[in-house]
Amino acid sequence: MDQSVAIQETLAEGEYCLIAVQGVLCEGDSRQSRLLGLIRYRLEHGGQEHALFLYTHRRMAITGDDVSLDQIVPVSRDFTLEEVSPDGELYILGSDVTVQLDTAELSLTFQLPFGSHTRMFLQEVARACPGFDPATPDPEFQWLSRYRCTQREPSLRCWISASGTRIGGGGSHLDGLRPHGKGLLVDQSSRGQDKADSLLTRQNKSKSEIADMVRSATITVSNKAHILTMQKFELRDTIVKSHLVQKEEDYTYIQNFRFFVGTYNVNGQSPKEGLQPWLSHGIQAPDVYCVGFQELDLSKEAFFFHDTPKEEEWFKAVSESLHPDAKYAKVKLVRLVGIMLLLYVKEEHAAYISEVEVESVGTGVMGRMGNKGGVAIRFQFHNTSVCVVNSHLAAHTEEYERRNQDYKDICSRMLFSRGDASLAPVPISKHDVILWLGDLNYRIEELDVEKVKKLIEEKDFQTLYAYDQLKTQVAANAVFQGFTEGKITFQPTYKYDTGSDEWDTSEKCRAPAWCDRILWKGTNITQLSYQSHMALKTSDHKPVSSVFDIGVKVIQQELYRKTLEKIVRSLDKMENANIASVTLSKLEFCFQNVKYMQLRIESFTIQNGQVPCEFEFINKPGEESYCKLWLNANPSKGFLLPDAAVEIELELFVNKTTATKLNSGEDKIEDILVLHLERGRDYFLSVSGNYLPSCFGTPIHTLCYMREPILDLPLETVSELTVMPLRTEDDGSQLERPLKIPKELWIMVDYLYRNAMLQEDLFQQPGLRSEFEEIRDSLDTGMIDTLNTASFSSHSVAEALLLFLESLPEPVICYSAYHNCLECSGNYTASQQVISSLPRFHKNVFHYLMSFLRELLKNSAENHLDENILASIFGSLLLRNPAGHQKLDMLEKKKAQEFIHQFLCNSP
Amino acid sequence: MAKKTYDLLFKLLLIGDSGVGKTCVLFRFSDDAFNTTFISTIGIDFKIKTVELQGKKIKLQIWDTAGQERFHTITTSYYRGAMGIMLVYDITNGKSFENISKWLRNIDEHANEDVERMLLGNKCDMDDKRVVPKAKGEQIAREHGIRFFETSAKANINIEKAFLTLAEDILRKTPVKEPNSENVDISSGGGVTGWKSKCC
Repeated sequence: MDQSVAIQETLAEGEYCLIAVQGVLCEGDSRQSRLLGLIRYRLEHGGQEHALFLYTHRRMAITGDDVSLDQIVPVSRDFTLEEVSPDGELYILGSDVTVQLDTAELSLTFQLPFGSHTRMFLQEVARACPGFDPATPDPEFQWLSRYRCTQREPSLRCWISASGTRIGGGGSHLDGLRPHGKGLLVDQSSRGQDKADSLLTRQNKSKSEIADMVRSATITVSNKAHILTMQKFELRDTIVKSHLVQKEEDYTYIQNFRFFVGTYNVNGQSPKEGLQPWLSHGIQAPDVYCVGFQELDLSKEAFFFHDTPKEEEWFKAVSESLHPDAKYAKVKLVRLVGIMLLLYVKEEHAAYISEVEVESVGTGVMGRMGNKGGVAIRFQFHNTSVCVVNSHLAAHTEEYERRNQDYKDICSRMLFSRGDASLAPVPISKHDVILWLGDLNYRIEELDVEKVKKLIEEKDFQTLYAYDQLKTQVAANAVFQGFTEGKITFQPTYKYDTGSDEWDTSEKCRAPAWCDRILWKGTNITQLSYQSHMALKTSDHKPVSSVFDIGVKVIQQELYRKTLEKIVRSLDKMENANIASVTLSKLEFCFQNVKYMQLRIESFTIQNGQVPCEFEFINKPGEESYCKLWLNANPSKGFLLPDAAVEIELELFVNKTTATKLNSGEDKIEDILVLHLERGRDYFLSVSGNYLPSCFGTPIHTLCYMREPILDLPLETVSELTVMPLRTEDDGSQLERPLKIPKELWIMVDYLYRNAMLQEDLFQQPGLRSEFEEIRDSLDTGMIDTLNTASFSSHSVAEALLLFLESLPEPVICYSAYHNCLECSGNYTASQQVISSLPRFHKNVFHYLMSFLRELLKNSAENHLDENILASIFGSLLLRNPAGHQKLDMLEKKKAQEFIHQFLCNSP
Repeated sequence: MAKKTYDLLFKLLLIGDSGVGKTCVLFRFSDDAFNTTFISTIGIDFKIKTVELQGKKIKLQIWDTAGQERFHTITTSYYRGAMGIMLVYDITNGKSFENISKWLRNIDEHANEDVERMLLGNKCDMDDKRVVPKAKGEQIAREHGIRFFETSAKANINIEKAFLTLAEDILRKTPVKEPNSENVDISSGGGVTGWKSKCC
């Protein structure tokens, strides 16, 4: 619904609401609905000024009572209304249009609904912006002073920029929340570096620059293309990445790296001895260290406050015991109560470690606390993803199912977030390499302690291993599905008397068990060693270590570049193939010998290609419509599915509005239309041809100087005579003696005089179009015989006469005399005086027509015409309001009738 | 793959007299192909091509314009927003070279002030039909302080180089945010400051 109607009701005389749109005013977090009305004010001395009126409103505004004026922003020279895209938000087709309104005094942000109405609104506003021709004066906005004085509304804010005074308060500048122009790098760079800077210099900007900014408020061709390609930009990145993953093998090779994995339950102790025997003795310097601890701190403080000095102590102990042959960089440390995991890499590898994330899961008390559970570090090493998990599962021999459950909980709850929040988190299972270490707490069952110890003494680990819970649970597929463990060739690592290699002698006398384990999952993993380290005696556990060679996917830069290039090329190709493109059956249109009021149609087909497209004829810069007034494209916009076609008709029709300039040569049958495809090409259509001048649309005095039929005259003569000023005095030197009245008028009137004096319904019954064309042609070519011999319907000739009068660029009673005529419509003498002041030819025509009409009235018994009918028909043709198309109000119409009426009743 | 991509969009424009080979230059660059049949561009066409410069992925959106005189007033409205303009003449067509100053004036009037300009003398494979010496091209380019290449879309000479050079010139003027370095903590063996343990 058009809400400009409601606004119009509140406006003063002379103010006109061109278009209105409902939008949302964004100030900080506040969002308030506003009605934006573009108001035009016509100045007395000609010209016009515009202002944007902002209204608060209730519901959808239907009447003036529904709106209340909040703010006025004059459309001054520093006024800009630009489409912007909010910070960081992706442009989404069909989303609201965010626009930024700037003047020297204020800056407002609005959201306007998507669609053609908003587009029209923006175009109207752009058109309303004052030109930047230095010759025209700055708009003064005096008409707005009314709103300044009558501040009925205390909140009314009005900025009058020309006078420099600012009325009302609260003009908050929104610089803080101002979205950057378009959000496109393109625009940022082309706009100069500093927004603040540009604000400061705005006052000094050259006018052409400002004009540029104003023009950018309309949605131009180039803007559209920018926005739409940007929209696909991020998507494209995702596509490139997924293609790269698919083609990984093309540009990576496998290189082995040595990983050291260690686990140690330290039973709450502090480090008392060097860790070298565990971490670095008897091995080559590994590339990566993954070192896990359990029971780092058994104190209540560690449990409840998560803070422990042990962390630093053990971290230091490990750092000091790493292999001396290499320098290591700590990548990450993660701890959950007593469960700690450390990751180091050789310094030279640090650059190839990325996307490091840590996570922890507690499975202890209440299934959540951190006395049991796991911690993990995931990272990308070259092109291989690695996840290292350190877990401490539930204790006690009979609790193996609880341990299985802990494992499952860790797997399901351990989710690594990613740098990009929009991406789904990654579980442990989604890694190329998974290394799982820890005190898994699985025990040896079904054997009594003595039997176990005996088998250990005999080093019959194979027999003993058969009773290992982890082995049986894995075999039953109850836990660690898909994981591998190396062969155990070391004696159980639990439980010893602290400080010794003696089995537990305490009251509980725990049976020995392989609590501390290392498992892995993934391809290209070779275990080089799997052992315990009896030398360390600090804890009731012995530490365990395993060294692996792990094949990591390393990028071959040259191949990577080539693969990437290939992907990018194919995407470019796809994108280029997706640019809308059509085939036009015709690009040039020639209209030969166009005649007055003769509809000419040339059609062509738009054949679409493979991409659905929207097409529209768009305005050329600085023009208000996509083509000249005498032309029309039907349809002028539309939508085409792939392979679909549509026929467009170019309709050419010259009427009274356009005829005169075509006669004079000021306008020609020449135009270029721009057919724009949304997200695609633009096509230029050329229209050419020639117009055959006609007496229709030619001024009275010009016709009087044409003794020959108009088409017998050279075009230059027609042109010269058409632009000849109205009050040319007949000096007889250059020109032939003029006719008293146009011969064409005489021919038509004469025809009616001879054939139609008794005709009923004359001037009231429509004529035949085909006959009108013949009449026009015979008048323009001088084939008067046709008129004399052919038996035209009187109605056709009568209508041609009316059309002739209507087409006169200057009416019979000149525009300048219009108001005088209305004023003296009751006074015959005064009326006669006005007529006598008309230019000679106009006066002649007027008297000629009046006497003809009086002749007609003499036969009113037969033709049933009366003064009133004729006065009403001819009143509005002979007297025309100089303001143009504005509809005549009833009073004016009546006075015009009265004026003519006097001449019909009184013979001079 | 680990590297984050930084994308820029550059809008480039090809202008010059009808028949100098603007469309062929674009076709060679975007599709690495050449078509001998001459089809006059009646309107505005564009293609995209992604290139990598100084480690940045840059998307070039290249607009091909109608060269015919009767369309000039319309095509100039497409200049605005272009960050780079390639002005093309034909070394075998003296008229197309003479019009260069007219085109340059057009750019001054209608393009952004800071637009990067470049002059191309196309069809340099047709040396036997040459009427514009290379030195004349160089001279006018020097006078206006712009870069100049002789190119051949047909023989694929200097086409890619010209586009990449133009893009580089634009890139040089474009302020770009530097990427954040990746998140590896290389405090080898040092303290663990700033680190916080995570818990359920």
